[in-house]
Amino acid sequence: MNRYVKLVHMEVHRFRYVLFGMMLLTAIWQTIGVIYYAKVRMDGWREAARLGNYAPRPFSFADIIGDSQFWFALPILISITVLGLYIFLIWYRDWIGRDKFAYRMFALPTARSNIYLAKATAILLFVFSMVSFQLLLLLLERQLFNGIVPSDYRMSSLFSEAVAANRVFELPLLPLEGVRFVVYYGTGILAVFVLFTAILLERCYRWLGIVYAILYVAACGTAIGFAANLNPYGYFYPSEITAIRLGIYLVVMGVTLALGFRLVSKKITV
Amino acid sequence: MIELIRVSHRYLCRKVLKEVTFAAEKGQITCLIGLNGAGKSTVLKAIMGLTPIHGGTIQIDGKPIGRDTYEQVSYIPDHLAVPPSMKLSDALQFMEDFYSRWNKDRASELMRFFGLDYRERAGRLSKGTAAKFNLVLGLAQDSDYIIMDEPFAGIDLFSRESIAEVFSSELVGSRGVLLTTHEVGEIEHLIDQAVLLRDGTVARTFECEQVRSEEGKSVVDVMKEVLLA
Amino acid sequence: MNNVNDWADISFNSRDPVYLQVVRMFKEKIVTGVLHSGQTIPSRRELAALLKINPNTAQRAYKEMEDQRLIVTEGNSPSRITLESDVLRQIRSELLGGAVEAFVASIRNIDVPLDELLDVIRRKYSEAQEDKDD
Repeated sequence: MNRYVKLVHMEVHRFRYVLFGMMLLTAIWQTIGVIYYAKVRMDGWREAARLGNYAPRPFSFADIIGDSQFWFALPILISITVLGLYIFLIWYRDWIGRDKFAYRMFALPTARSNIYLAKATAILLFVFSMVSFQLLLLLLERQLFNGIVPSDYRMSSLFSEAVAANRVFELPLLPLEGVRFVVYYGTGILAVFVLFTAILLERCYRWLGIVYAILYVAACGTAIGFAANLNPYGYFYPSEITAIRLGIYLVVMGVTLALGFRLVSKKITV
Repeated sequence: MIELIRVSHRYLCRKVLKEVTFAAEKGQITCLIGLNGAGKSTVLKAIMGLTPIHGGTIQIDGKPIGRDTYEQVSYIPDHLAVPPSMKLSDALQFMEDFYSRWNKDRASELMRFFGLDYRERAGRLSKGTAAKFNLVLGLAQDSDYIIMDEPFAGIDLFSRESIAEVFSSELVGSRGVLLTTHEVGEIEHLIDQAVLLRDGTVARTFECEQVRSEEGKSVVDVMKEVLLA
Repeated sequence: MNNVNDWADISFNSRDPVYLQVVRMFKEKIVTGVLHSGQTIPSRRELAALLKINPNTAQRAYKEMEDQRLIVTEGNSPSRITLESDVLRQIRSELLGGAVEAFVASIRNIDVPLDELLDVIRRKYSEAQEDKDD
């Protein structure tokens, strides 16, 4: 357990600059966005007031987030891409790097499953730190919005309205409904493990392993797809459907972890 | 005793090791000698569980290899295997964190012996210096066995000399050493037992002093005879 | 004699057992007076480090020298060169005999009468003595 924590620390440490880089990029990019779109609204407001034909509606922070759809989402999409690639790199860097760290890492006196779990934990930590950083950033951005927009033009909005205003939050990142949040992130965690095991299949059996990996991912995808598409109006009661879905999820998770642990402990080649 | 019994390994369809059998005793220096591609590194990796074996058994003091192996045997690969941005002091700390048998005093003694700078980064070391630091990371563990892969390959003369000195010093002490080389000439005075590996099979195992006194041959003589035949 | 430089100059040939070469080195050092009887010698480990040889080989050389009564080890105290004059005399004649044998073997094929040979030896020997005195 102790060594597992040390391994997680090591993985986080190795990625820290990229993580901070992504945070910095997101902060700068979105701050510029908030200032720019607030200014556009303010100019519109002043213009309308000057012409005097109608009294413009005050606008809220959520409106700004809504205005800046793509601009706001871009650093988030970049971060998602980087983290997606790092799911692969967190393994491959130990083989292809100049240091070939795999030689030392797999010779450490600890259960190999700890290495697998530590890498997965690190990926999840990166995802959750980015998400919580985004939430914190939204709060700060609202302060900024309140600071630059005169109170005459401004109306208050709920924080959840701001989150709901951008499709990137609304759809995958921050579902406001509890169940959807659990389902999305649960599936995401499973996907990380499935990819890890697929990567290990490739690392253990090389070319043939790529075929195994593709078949394995396809099998897991089919199982989860089947679970997702169980018709709620059909044969089963909703509670039964939930139980079946949970069952399938746990089986896929169990098989993935068992296979991953076995590969990393017995079959890996540095 | 590190004991390999009929160990086989294949990569794709190629048989890399074919029923390799030999033992490296504690308190002795055993050298695996073979040309490039004979399977020397694979033997060491198999002992450390860094590559699977497809037949045979490997035992350390009578027990199959497992988690305990990694405290019992210190492995010095043929490259440093430390992230290039890591400072030497951090790398030592890393080892101390993970190895319960890490000997801090021995580590500082070795750092002094090799004249290494704690503040240097692993990626900036010259080849010879990296090889010395690699040795520090392996020898500072209070392990029962040390296995090292080509400790002399591609290193300047002075580094080679100071590395060779390690073998006749307290740093190795009563531990068992298993090392590989494709160029035995320089260290043939240092080794007790030689295992000649040819195309993944053990061609001959012998005690060096015995071959000198009974056959009047050097290790290099036997090596030429067996491997180039 | 426990100066590092006095020991570091030996180079081993690779076809004779190393431990026997170490024994021979000790004999030469005794005969030439570098080591004298009763003198303490380095421990096995120290010797291994000084000569850069395997500690097992040093151990074996000491064992051999003990068997030949060249050195004595009592209890835990360091080994010493023997005080027995018989043994020392025997080493001297052994080395001398060996050197002369080698010399004879190398000139055997040269057709030379013994008197002439002895003259040459006398001359070379005195030259060598003069060089040594300089």
